[in-house]
Amino acid sequence: MRSGTFKETYPELIALTDSRLVWFWGAVLAIALAAAPYLVNAYLLSLLTAILITVTGVLGLNILTGYTGLISLGHVGFLVTGAYGYAVVSGRWGLPPLLGFAASGSVAALLSLVVGAPSLRLRGLYLAITTLAFAFIVSHLIIEAAPLTNGARGITVERPSFGGLSFASDQAFAHLCLAIAILTLFGTLNLRRSRIGRAFVAIRDNDIAARAMGVNLHAYKLLAFTTSAFVTGIAGALYGIYLSYVSVEGFPFLLSIEALAILIVGGLGSPLGAILGTIFVTLLPELTRSALAMFGSEAEALFSTGAQELKSILYGVVIILFLRFEPRGLVGIWHDIRRLWVHWPLRF
Amino acid sequence: MTVLLSVQGLSKTFGGLKAVSGVDLDVAEGEICSVIGPNGAGKTTLFNLISGVLPPSAGRLVFAGRDLREIRPWHFAGIGIGRTFQNLALFKHGTVAENMLTGRHVHLRSTVFDAVLHLGRTRREEIAARRRIEEIIEFLEIEHIRDAVVGTLSYGQQKRVELGRALASDPKLLLLDEMVSGMNREETEDIARFILDIRDQLGITILMIEHDMRIVMDISDRVHVLNFGEKIAGGTPDEVRSDPAVLEAYLGSKHGRAEPARGEAAAHVG
Ligand SMILES: Nc1ncnc2c1ncn2[C@@H]1O[C@H](COP(=O)(O)OP(=O)(O)OP(=O)(O)O)[C@@H](O)[C@H]1O
Ligand SMILES: [Mg+2]
Repeated sequence: MRSGTFKETYPELIALTDSRLVWFWGAVLAIALAAAPYLVNAYLLSLLTAILITVTGVLGLNILTGYTGLISLGHVGFLVTGAYGYAVVSGRWGLPPLLGFAASGSVAALLSLVVGAPSLRLRGLYLAITTLAFAFIVSHLIIEAAPLTNGARGITVERPSFGGLSFASDQAFAHLCLAIAILTLFGTLNLRRSRIGRAFVAIRDNDIAARAMGVNLHAYKLLAFTTSAFVTGIAGALYGIYLSYVSVEGFPFLLSIEALAILIVGGLGSPLGAILGTIFVTLLPELTRSALAMFGSEAEALFSTGAQELKSILYGVVIILFLRFEPRGLVGIWHDIRRLWVHWPLRF
Repeated sequence: MTVLLSVQGLSKTFGGLKAVSGVDLDVAEGEICSVIGPNGAGKTTLFNLISGVLPPSAGRLVFAGRDLREIRPWHFAGIGIGRTFQNLALFKHGTVAENMLTGRHVHLRSTVFDAVLHLGRTRREEIAARRRIEEIIEFLEIEHIRDAVVGTLSYGQQKRVELGRALASDPKLLLLDEMVSGMNREETEDIARFILDIRDQLGITILMIEHDMRIVMDISDRVHVLNFGEKIAGGTPDEVRSDPAVLEAYLGSKHGRAEPARGEAAAHVG
């Protein structure tokens, strides 16, 4: 049984985790994920890749909604901006893919400054509605800016290769997505334990006290918005490559809701929650589809014709269930299990 | 005696209500100064003006030679004004240590790029911040709860954490709004001792709002009395205790208020 922790040095006090076990199992998981693309079939590999891209995007939204407590319904706008940023720079202009990735993040971040500067003075519902409107305006602008974006016809995107590595195969692309997801995970964990992450959380928990501690509320909200948009933009670039074709239809508003559902299901503000939530919410429609298949092919056909509608309903249901019964999300359940395990067989 | 904070003709109105009206007072460096007055007298509003939470309607605040009208609200902590809140304003999901580290915000510099990588500068300044926080934790004798989530602590402990968070910014002037309300005798005495140590060992000037007359009269160098937003008296504890205007305010005959002050406070002044 592990009892009190005794830390000796200041570097230990500021470490991400005091447990060697966490590092060990984290490394095991990373190796398993790196090996997985060679072991699973094409369908599972595609699902794994989608999960890794979603984790990256959701970690981005988590900076804004989880850490800072600001709700955005418009993150699909940054996702699609990132996808187009990449598609235009590396697809249409034929520039190196790394420049495409840089563009995907920075264009989304720049756009977030334009949207955020006036609207972040708004709170709660008003901010949610403003960002919602923003997402629709972005789609519209992309279609209108046909000379740049090819309008409604969209842009075909190739798998990238850079630094002497080709990510053309499904396996290699999954590895790229894994690497970016892991970098994003550590990046956001590091951000969280810095003065900036603490300022974000302070704004969420008590903005008047945060300002009395020296936090410039408007500037930090904007910083959270921009950092969040940057990460979401990168995820958008990956998603565009994953789809191999970037168009406005490929980025339905439902993706914004899906990301929020994942954060709520996983546990707001927790990167671990973002990962657990992504796995749960991504698998949910798949599991539902399998369950429906058991009722015969007609039920399954219902799923394929009304997939979007069914997904919306599923997301709505899990959001309501989690908010009602486990507001701490899956990460809360995980902590309970771990506590039971650590203290077993003592019951407290 | 150098004046650290000078409040000159300060007023704050909310709609038609004059919460603070024409208040003058000076706080000298190294003093422990108290603000007392019946409920609703405008004490917290005065603190909100001094700490930049609210802008004044009229008057001037001069802190360490600077006119506070030129200072943006979020720079008050950086120039050396720290405070606690009457009704706890902690970041309740964070641990004690994390709350206190947030209090150190103004001393940290790392940018978002440094922070994401957690190398070099960020690492060095986080370690330095943590070292300072541990000193304060030791000073306030809260080592045993440093990793506890603030929301799970008792009221008295949370008050102490809030004091720690304010100290973490290394303020020149510390504003304490009713630190000991709701505390028992022993906890109150602990806080009184800490306040004296903060002044004597850390050299921090203190301005505090208190209803508990024992602590006010025991440790203050100077006491200012507010009533209906106006300053009605100021001086040493002894001068204030015997001031007829103060007795009147606390006993409340002139203004005809049934219960102007908490019983304990009135009893002690009387
Ligand atoms: N933000 C605000 N908006 C409107 N009215 C306010 C505001 N803050 C305070 N007031 C009013 O100003 C008056 C003074 O309030 P204040 O909180 O400063 O009193 P106080 O002396 O701290 O009282 P207490 O001893 O009860 O804490 C009260 O009538 C209060 O209702
Ligand atoms: Mg008050």
